[in-house]
Amino acid sequence: MKPYLLATALLFGAVTAWADPPAGYPFVDYNAGLKAARASGKPIFLYFGRYGCAWCDHTNKQTFSDAALKKLYSSHYELVYVDSESGRRVTLPSGERITEAELGVRLNAFATPLFVYLTPAGEKIVQIPGFKTVQDFRDFDRYVRGGHYKQQTLLEFLGGKS
Amino acid sequence: MKALALLLMVLAWPAQAAWEWSAPLTVNLVQGAAIFPHLESANRRGVAVSGDTVGVVWEDNRSGSPQCYLATKVAAAASFQPEIRLGESDCYEPVLVALGEGRFVAAWESAGKVHARVLPGGAPITLSDGDAAQITLAAQGNTVYAAWAAQAGRFHRIVVARLALQADGLDVKTVQPVEAAMPTDEQGWPALAVAGDGSVTVAWEDRRYRHSVPMVSHSRDGRSFASPARLTDHKSGRVDGLGAGTGAMRPTLSAWGPRGIAAVWLDKRDFLSGYDVYAAFDAGNRRFGKNVRVQDSFGDNMAQWHAQIVGAADGSLVALWDDARDGTPDVWLSEWTGDAFGDDVAVPAAAGPGQQSDPLAVFDAAGSLHAVWLDRDEATVTRIRYAHARRK
Repeated sequence: MKPYLLATALLFGAVTAWADPPAGYPFVDYNAGLKAARASGKPIFLYFGRYGCAWCDHTNKQTFSDAALKKLYSSHYELVYVDSESGRRVTLPSGERITEAELGVRLNAFATPLFVYLTPAGEKIVQIPGFKTVQDFRDFDRYVRGGHYKQQTLLEFLGGKS
Repeated sequence: MKALALLLMVLAWPAQAAWEWSAPLTVNLVQGAAIFPHLESANRRGVAVSGDTVGVVWEDNRSGSPQCYLATKVAAAASFQPEIRLGESDCYEPVLVALGEGRFVAAWESAGKVHARVLPGGAPITLSDGDAAQITLAAQGNTVYAAWAAQAGRFHRIVVARLALQADGLDVKTVQPVEAAMPTDEQGWPALAVAGDGSVTVAWEDRRYRHSVPMVSHSRDGRSFASPARLTDHKSGRVDGLGAGTGAMRPTLSAWGPRGIAAVWLDKRDFLSGYDVYAAFDAGNRRFGKNVRVQDSFGDNMAQWHAQIVGAADGSLVALWDDARDGTPDVWLSEWTGDAFGDDVAVPAAAGPGQQSDPLAVFDAAGSLHAVWLDRDEATVTRIRYAHARRK
């Protein structure tokens, strides 16, 4: 069983419906990812997808199939997959218990895929909607792990990158 | 077709009247920065009016774990009575229906099973044998139906139960899966409605097509259900070999008019504008027609959330939801005019600064509309608010 499926199945016996995390990545559910991030100190990369989403499928095939990107993100992030229409329960850093679908309301998720970078404490750094390339994700990684988000918006950072 | 159009026009007669709203009241007496009340439930059935008593159910974490509560208020009272707890352990997504004369049936999920009780006075009973979630209720007279998502192999499927009232208790008469075959993917979030002719309609969110599609089925007797049909008329599919289709979720149903059923759900067929609210109607022939977009053009380019349809025997029909077209989430209402939904109108006490969201509503026997919503202010304290409206 894939790590994502295994972790979720073990931790949550509630209504489950598998969406489409990219193959081969160690994605876990939201609660497990936040717990892991608090322990490891790694930032969280939250993939907000939808079951049957064409642009998620496209991103998985075109971008997340890149072996180097997989190694980069698997090594340096706690990878969290959230199904935008699921009733699976998650607990926010505030202690509030909501569903994965309701997390989309809180993020004002307009479209999927939506990629959200969070601190190890679960605070949002930046969220980015839509299809992105391998190079885009490398840039986002530099922005997040380089700490540039503390001084610049993502647009400012990308505008000034060399 | 002409007959259907005429019927829809007749059913729309009250639609032109505006609403006069009462001053809002706070329902939940215990509040705090770390207390989070929730109104979410299958079919969004969290408010009911029984005789002259309004009941509201919700879940919050005041005790350190999720618990469900009921608060009631008689029409003449200035405030809600202190809330009572529905069960003794963790509780999620409670629903409430009216039995008349101040009595209600509440249902909820706890410990992986679904439960119900008559209020006031009744003891909780467990409705499901195995794992179950997302229960909803519908009632007509003394006949109560429940639907929930029951574990069936790898997935959940929708079952419908017929419950009999016995003094202050409930007796489970039948529990029937809508489809005999095992599910091939997830089913959840059922909605139930009992039409004026006593037939039962159940809708739910279904992933058999590898994306979320609201499905619907009918039963003349609440025991044998017709083959499910799509509620959506949007035949989505793969795009350039990718994905499986656009999403649509959280269907809600309401009885409407003498024999009709109305449905709304959140629909992402226009995937660049978030979820929109779509509706469909069954005028009594147990077949839903073409889909109708509910929100007006001012709400078109943003996401709508928490949609519910609320109908009455006199033909009144309104849809409620929240969206942030004015900068922060507000509760919006649109009334069926016979051939379309009218202009979106903000519920006065549920609009403005702060966040007003998650509306629930129900008509009473006199045609007044009773609405409940979450109100989160700048101090991040969340209140459950209530107001009722009469036609001017």
